[in-house]
This record gives sequence, structure tokens and C-alpha cells, in this order.
Amino acid sequence: MRIELAQIRPFLGDVERNFLKHREIVETSDADCVVFPELSLTGYVLKDLTFELFRYSEKAVEKLAEASGGKCVVAGTIKEVRPGVLRNSAAVIINGEVDYVYKFYLPTYGLFEERRYFQRGDPPRDLKTFQHAGIKFGVMICEDAWHPEPAEALALMGADLILIPAASPMRRLGRSLAIQDSWEALLKAHALMNAVWVTFVNTVGSQEEEFFWGGSMAVSPLGEVKLRLKLFEEDRAVYSIDLEELRRARFFSSFRDHISSFHRVLAEL
Amino acid sequence: MNEYVAQALAIDCDKVARYLVERLREYIEESGARGGVLGLSGGIDSSVVAVLLAKATDNFFFLLMPSASTPPRDMEDAMKIVKLTGAERKHAVVPIDDYVKAMSSAADVADKRIVGNIKARLRMVLLYAYAQKLGYLVVGTGDKSEIMLGYFTKYGDGGVDILPIGDLYKTQVRQLGRCLGVPEEIVAKPPSPALWEGQTAEGEIGADYETVDSVLYLRYEEMRTREETAAMLGIDVSVVDRIDALVRRSQHKRLPPEIFRLSGRAVGSDWRYPRRYWNVRPW
Repeated sequence: MRIELAQIRPFLGDVERNFLKHREIVETSDADCVVFPELSLTGYVLKDLTFELFRYSEKAVEKLAEASGGKCVVAGTIKEVRPGVLRNSAAVIINGEVDYVYKFYLPTYGLFEERRYFQRGDPPRDLKTFQHAGIKFGVMICEDAWHPEPAEALALMGADLILIPAASPMRRLGRSLAIQDSWEALLKAHALMNAVWVTFVNTVGSQEEEFFWGGSMAVSPLGEVKLRLKLFEEDRAVYSIDLEELRRARFFSSFRDHISSFHRVLAEL
Repeated sequence: MNEYVAQALAIDCDKVARYLVERLREYIEESGARGGVLGLSGGIDSSVVAVLLAKATDNFFFLLMPSASTPPRDMEDAMKIVKLTGAERKHAVVPIDDYVKAMSSAADVADKRIVGNIKARLRMVLLYAYAQKLGYLVVGTGDKSEIMLGYFTKYGDGGVDILPIGDLYKTQVRQLGRCLGVPEEIVAKPPSPALWEGQTAEGEIGADYETVDSVLYLRYEEMRTREETAAMLGIDVSVVDRIDALVRRSQHKRLPPEIFRLSGRAVGSDWRYPRRYWNVRPW
């Protein structure tokens, strides 16, 4: 499977313009799967625009599905799961059919205020994997990569690849970009601990005061960064999943071992 | 400066300058404005923003608005920035004393602080008139130290459209100025609003900017206690308290005016739209 990382700068609030950019990238891509960042159709720093844009973003997903041909497309959107209940979602389009993945961990600290606007996903109902071009994959959104369970669950459900649409803003641009180092460490850890390919697609560019740093990455199951997109600007690139590398990693990994009684302990904490 | 804080506040100048220039360019373009106008005082902040703005767009304009309390040296320094940025035909000098006199007498005031604020607000009026005439934005020159202390005139130098260096402390603006080629005499000059003769920022605040920035950083970014902050910097806790008090008292200057609630949805705490509300179109 060939995967395209579409590191775009969404225009906050201009869903039609963002849709047109998505469609252009999908139509000009020769990959099997095109992955966009978190909330790529709406922009991330939405605040109360959330309540106005979910309708437009649902329309954009429908139109994107029509334009997707046989490709798989993962795009960030707002999904109304019940009247008045919205979720931060990734639309997963395969052969023109749309399914949704919901964010579980909703950051609400510092500049983040997701729990004000969104309902979180429910793991027993909402964890899912998909099949396309011979690969089984899962999707988890941004903050879910800052916790161990979502990636572990997807891997044990059979995912060979975990896609991570994200909207990671830059903080502390002093001497180095600490947040980039943190993400790289997390992605390598998920890849190594779960013996999976990991693909992180970050938003880039400004939205209100914030600035998203880009720097999308693909990490192999052996923990090597196989592809790096540019920092601070729009970029797109394709890489191929190598199943042999996945085999080699899994032959020498304990990723299948999961001692579920840990969860009994965790559940009591 | 305390070594620990100096390390934390050290910036990669090239990276930061490129970032700020790009954001300025983008904001001007996306707001639909044609360019930017700013008030050039000859001080470090407006010099740095002027250089950034000139890198971001060809459509910039600098206003030099001296008053009787402006040291002649400041205008000489401002002209150095005009030269450095190639603004020979993109600047104007508008002395404001006549208008200051008219406003002061209309309001029947002579107090140097009130007249000083009139000066700052008259400059704002002129900047907006030029901005509207040219189709430009008013680019603010306030830095993070001033914004946090409230060391600016509400609706005066605080009345602007964007604050490109508003997340850089004064000592960081100096670092940036040095690597942008701002003349050393401007970088090293003691900061002053020059609203009256002999006024200096550090004199009024009661601490030098290295101390101010260190306290602001440790108290509000690292959330350290007042005692710990004082101990780390080797200063008396009363200095920390004075800076804290300035931050607290000036919060009203950093927020839009309070609206008294009556309706189910008031413009304020439950009206949280981003500025990019302008991007939303029916579809």
C-alpha cells in the first residue's frame, strides 16, 4: 500500500475552500490512501464556529467521497452523531463509502478546549480497523497518541498501520522545537511497542494566534523515521508500507503479549 | 540576567524572524488589507517591527510623530530605520504638539500623565487615518513585557490591529533587533515611552527589564511562587510583588470591555468566535 501524507494548511472556517484543496490533492495523488490532518476540512481553532461548520463539513465529506474514486481518503471533520452532539472525527472513505473514527482523548488544557465542544468516542463501540489495498489499518486522532491504549488496541485488533491525523501547535520556538522531539519519541514508541507502521500527518500554518508546525512523519515497525515532511510549510509525499519489514519486526517482538489483568488494576485507580 | 532564565529566553533569531515575517505577510493578505502602517519612535520595539514589516511586504508606511517630549536623538534613530528599510518614500513626519495642545486645552488638563496619554491616543488616531487612507492595517509594536505589565496606553499605543512581537519579552526583542541589523545604539538605548521629558520605563516600573522579564517568565510561564522567584533571582520579594501587582491591575487593558449580561447569549464569554469568522461563507 502506498500512502500519501497531505500536510495542508486548512483555512479556518472556509470549508468549501478546504474541500477544494482536499479534492485537488486526492485527484492528483497516485497513492492508494491519502491522509489529511485533524479537522482538515474545517480548521482546528474553531471555538464557537464548531456549531456553524459541522453542516458544511458533512457536505464536504459527501462530496469528497464522490471524488475519491477507488482511493482511501482520511480527512478531518466534525460529525454530528446525534442532534446537537458533535465529535472530533476522521472520515475514512474507502471505495466511496464513508465511515467515521472518533477522538477518544479530548485535550482541554492550555490552548485546547475540545471538551467544551465535542463528545469523546466510546472505545468498545468506536474502536475499528479498516482494510484497503491489502493492508489492515486503524486511525487515531492527535491526543490519542499521547496515551498508550488506543494504539495498543488497534494493533491487537490486527492493524498493520496506524494513521494519526493531528493538529499539533508550535510552542516554545526558542532554540529548538521541543514538541517535534516529543512527537517523534511517541511515534517511535507506538511503532516499536505495537510492531506497526505509524503515520503522523500534522496540520501546518497559522490559525488565529496558533501556528501548526507540520513535520509529518512515517515510522517503521523497527522505529525508524522513513519519511519526513517539511517544517512550517505545506508539503505532500508518498511512501510504501513494506510488509517484510513488518514481519521482521514482529518475529522479534512481544507486542502480542497483553496481560489484561493490568486493566483490572488500572480500572481501580 | 539569571543564567537559567537567560537560557530559557534565548531565541534562534533567524527562525523567529522568518516566522514573524511570514505571519505578518499572511495576516495582511488574509485580512484583505493591502499593507501595514506603524508608528516609528526610534526605540527598539518599533525599529524591530519596522524591519520585520518591511521584509513582509513592500506596502508599508512609517509615521514619525514627535512631540516636545521626544528626545531629538529618537528621531535621528528613527531615520536610521527609515534608511535601513528603504522607506525614504514610505514615511511621513507629523509633529503632534499642536494637536496635543488643542486636546489638552479642550479637556482642560495639564497633568503630565493625562497629557502623555493624549499623545499616545493622538498617535493612534493618526495611524488609523493613514491606515484607512492607504487600505493598510495598523501594526502594533508592543512587546510581551509591556503587555503583561500593562505598560501602554489603553486605546493609545494599545489600539492596533496586530501585535507581531507581543509574545517576545523586551530582552528577547533586543536579541532579535541585534540579528536583524538594528543599530546597536537603538538596541542598547534605555526604553522610554517619552510621554514626558526624562521618562524611562525602567525608572517608572522600578526594575530593569532583565529583572522584569525574569520575574514575568518565572511567575507566569513556569508558575513559580513569589518566594521561589525572588530566591532564584536573588532579589527582594517586594520587587516580585510590585511586578505581580502591575500585571493584575492592568488585566482590563488586555481584554475587551466588560459587557453586563442580560440575554441568553451575550457577546463575551459565550461568544467565542475566532477572528477568522470572516472566512465563513454560506455553502
